[in-house]
Amino acid sequence: MIYTDKNQGVIVQNITGRQGTFHTALMNEYAREVGGRGVVAGVAPKKGGQEVHGVPVYNTVKEALREHDAAASVVFVPGGAAGDAIMEAAHAGLELVVAITEHIPVHDAMRAISYAELEGCAVVGPNCPGLLSPGECKLGIMPAHLATRGSVGVISRSGTLTYEVVDELTRAGIGQSSIVGIGGDPVIGQTFVDVLERFRDDPQTKAVVVIGEVGGNLEEEGVRSADLPVVTYIAGISAPPEKRMGHAGAIIEGGEGDARSKVQRLKNLGVPVASRPSEIPALIRDLL
Amino acid sequence: MKLLEYEAKSVFKDFGIPVPKSVLIRAPEEVAPHLAALGDTVVLKAQVDVGGRGKAGGILKADDADAVRAARDLFSREIKGLPVREILVEERLPITHEYYLSIAIDRSTKGPVILFADAGGVDIESAAQEDAGAVRKVTLPPLLTEVPAFLMRELLGDAPKDLAPVINRLYRVFREKDAMLAEINPLVTTEKGVYAADAKLIVDDNALARQGIAVNRDLTDREQEAEKHGFAYVELDGSIGVIGNGAGLTMSTLDLIEFYQGRAANFLDVGGGADQDRVQHAVRLVAGMPDVKVIVVNLLGGITRCDEVAKGIIAAGVAPTVIVRMAGTNEEEGRRLLAEHGYRMLESMDAAVKAAVEAAA
Repeated sequence: MIYTDKNQGVIVQNITGRQGTFHTALMNEYAREVGGRGVVAGVAPKKGGQEVHGVPVYNTVKEALREHDAAASVVFVPGGAAGDAIMEAAHAGLELVVAITEHIPVHDAMRAISYAELEGCAVVGPNCPGLLSPGECKLGIMPAHLATRGSVGVISRSGTLTYEVVDELTRAGIGQSSIVGIGGDPVIGQTFVDVLERFRDDPQTKAVVVIGEVGGNLEEEGVRSADLPVVTYIAGISAPPEKRMGHAGAIIEGGEGDARSKVQRLKNLGVPVASRPSEIPALIRDLL
Repeated sequence: MKLLEYEAKSVFKDFGIPVPKSVLIRAPEEVAPHLAALGDTVVLKAQVDVGGRGKAGGILKADDADAVRAARDLFSREIKGLPVREILVEERLPITHEYYLSIAIDRSTKGPVILFADAGGVDIESAAQEDAGAVRKVTLPPLLTEVPAFLMRELLGDAPKDLAPVINRLYRVFREKDAMLAEINPLVTTEKGVYAADAKLIVDDNALARQGIAVNRDLTDREQEAEKHGFAYVELDGSIGVIGNGAGLTMSTLDLIEFYQGRAANFLDVGGGADQDRVQHAVRLVAGMPDVKVIVVNLLGGITRCDEVAKGIIAAGVAPTVIVRMAGTNEEEGRRLLAEHGYRMLESMDAAVKAAVEAAA
């Protein structure tokens, strides 16, 4: 497993919201199945004293940590307030924040992630499905029944496309060590490079599937730094060129933004690139 | 959302960045009373959201005597297919030098990146490609509220020091206006001082509300309708309608259509946890596009429940063929419902897309 394990308690921020409540139940159902601690406390400003599915609610992360031992939080706080929630968790001393929230203003994400890094806190996301180590722990919203324990790591910028790939792997009899959705926003905390480093140090992981998307060059940076066998898939080959963002986008990326040239650069690095999700299991099997 | 030049310049001016004297007109005659204040010659700039506006005939120069006629000419033009409804009429600056300045977001360093070039203007991109050193680039931590002096020196090189305040003010615009991009090209020097001769500002779509922007103008009517329902939606020009959940899976479905040599009519991501109502709206929206012959629905149920999706498809009751692939939560019940109503269900994403491409051919 990477980032955390079944012995670490988890805090859910905005546990009283619809998504927070729903997924707290699912996370704890999974924790019971695998014998983990799961969600030990929830946070929602001005709602301290309540309970959600038997989990006590506190006004702040600090208050929750006074009563419970936890190392990570999962953030379901809506867009405009999510950056603040990430900083609150980092300031209170948590080592890991998984930010599920979508539509966080990018300037908030930049500041919150930058601050969290100063506090030594790793942020997964925002706009991500979270983290699942089959048989160990689940922090986020991934449908756990599609996954099965094994030795292949999965890193992805997408949500459902990750489930698709995990489903393909499971059906092909290939289990997963950990599955990390790093998020689809322009600015995210943990990148492919960071997660690949964790996989390198994880004895359970023997190979990694990198699922990328059109835009940026974080996939290439990750693959270049990887010490493990890697298979990649890039979504968005057929995407029409993005509405141009002035000259700056083109100058920064040097015309490297589109998926086709990204695929070519990955191939140049000697990495197998699947042309569709259903090809991934066979390519992984060749590496194992 | 992209602001038009005159809107961006008004923001820049509020933040203390000098801009040329100007007036915005919506009819040719409106320019006449302002000519005395704008000097002997003026520049008329069509306020249309296209790149390469100058080369496409969207910018005219005129003497005062000729300005109304020039405005009439410009209003009658189409710039890359867009009608000209507003013209920004500006004083003509006696330019001594043109620079390039922009601030954007760098994914790798997760923070702002400032670009500066000694030679600005329309050919900045090709200049950057030919000579990597032509554009200087610095990244800085997003927690800094000002550009530190050492980075300012690195950016400016031998360029005049009085450009530094403009850089710091543009950085303030970038931060306070939730900008994805703030660009001045060209940033010009004249004997009277420094001016932003052009202005570009793109505001983060996720921050429009707090920036007081109610409607995202970058979207078509159908795209705005989609946004109201919480869909991510883009119109394309093929005949295969696409509905998926999650951007990655939907994009991957589009790629697979291309792989099987079909052409997608759209991209529609219904988002997480879509219920019957949302799916019904999605199917109707896509079916309403004139060229759609077949719709492929590709859903992977996590939070989304397959039975809800099935009910939504059935309730939409649309004419084009709907081919469904769904897996995950409540899959059995979803399949049963669709089978009862005679819908075509396929096991895998590959099979569903292949069938859709055949049906559209």
